[in-house]
Amino acid sequence: MTTGFKPTFSTHDIFARRVVQKLDNSLDELPHHVSERLRVARVRALGMQKRTTEQAIFAPSIQIQNGVATLGHGPAPDSGNSPLWEKLMSFLPLIVLLLGLMIIHEFQNDLRVRELADVDQALLLDDLPPDAYTDPGFLKFLSVPRESVESTQ
Amino acid sequence: MATEKELSDFLKSVEKRAFKRSIYHVRDEEAALDIVQDSMMKLAEHYAEKPASELPMLFQRILSNTTLDWFRRQKTKNALFTNFNEFETESGPDEMDFLDIKSSENESLMGESAEQNFSHSQNVQEIEEEIKKLPARQREAFLLRYWEELDVSETASAMGCSEGSVKTHCSRAIQALYSALTAKGIKP
Repeated sequence: MTTGFKPTFSTHDIFARRVVQKLDNSLDELPHHVSERLRVARVRALGMQKRTTEQAIFAPSIQIQNGVATLGHGPAPDSGNSPLWEKLMSFLPLIVLLLGLMIIHEFQNDLRVRELADVDQALLLDDLPPDAYTDPGFLKFLSVPRESVESTQ
Repeated sequence: MATEKELSDFLKSVEKRAFKRSIYHVRDEEAALDIVQDSMMKLAEHYAEKPASELPMLFQRILSNTTLDWFRRQKTKNALFTNFNEFETESGPDEMDFLDIKSSENESLMGESAEQNFSHSQNVQEIEEEIKKLPARQREAFLLRYWEELDVSETASAMGCSEGSVKTHCSRAIQALYSALTAKGIKP
């Protein structure tokens, strides 16, 4: 029943109220088997509510709490009311991981380039013995393009 | 979310009126009990998470829809059996009509129920009979508005019509009841 009902005491309303008053009084005179069926129906409905609630509790779900997403069961606490930023925060660890991998990749690339540059620099700055120019192998090495040499290494 | 106790208390408070309302509509005790039980189950299954304050309106809507569903099923069933009977009557006019048997069974059940109620309270019986005679929409509006104590907008929402229609239905229902009961010398 609602509490917003405000009767206006018109003739119609007074008559209607008297009628339903009679009907209300007759409710206690329902046969026993009817009252019993209604009681059983109520108990069944309550059992149904219990089962529905249990299913909701044990149903698998992703729960987001304090910016951490975990797989659990039952409704996520405050899942309906958590602000957007909190949901986005749950993806923060993933974003940090991706950024870390990108930084490591860049760092390793840079390190490799530096190592190759050091080798080239050492070769260019090192003294070359005059006999080397009489060595056919060395002359052959100089004639081959640099890229193909690196690829064979 | 309504607790088990809140739902239990709510259902206990409405179950008898719901049964009576259903029986005014369908005029069959078993069917009315089934309708009330189905309505309770639907409320518990689909709206268990709703707050207790929303239960009355939800239940009234479910009860109305379940009653409508019952009428639809009856219509389909009757149409099927009518066709069946048309086919059967060709085999012999002296055979008993299944629908006639069913309707006479219902009448005898209603008769028994009327006798029992009559012994308890003649006035209530007469009032109930007059309520049953009301057109369905007038009866629904009257019972929701005055017995379930919904206000006009809530009744309109439950019935899926305008507030003006609710007022008109209620006014006509009261006038019809007043005329019929006064003619019988009954003053509620």
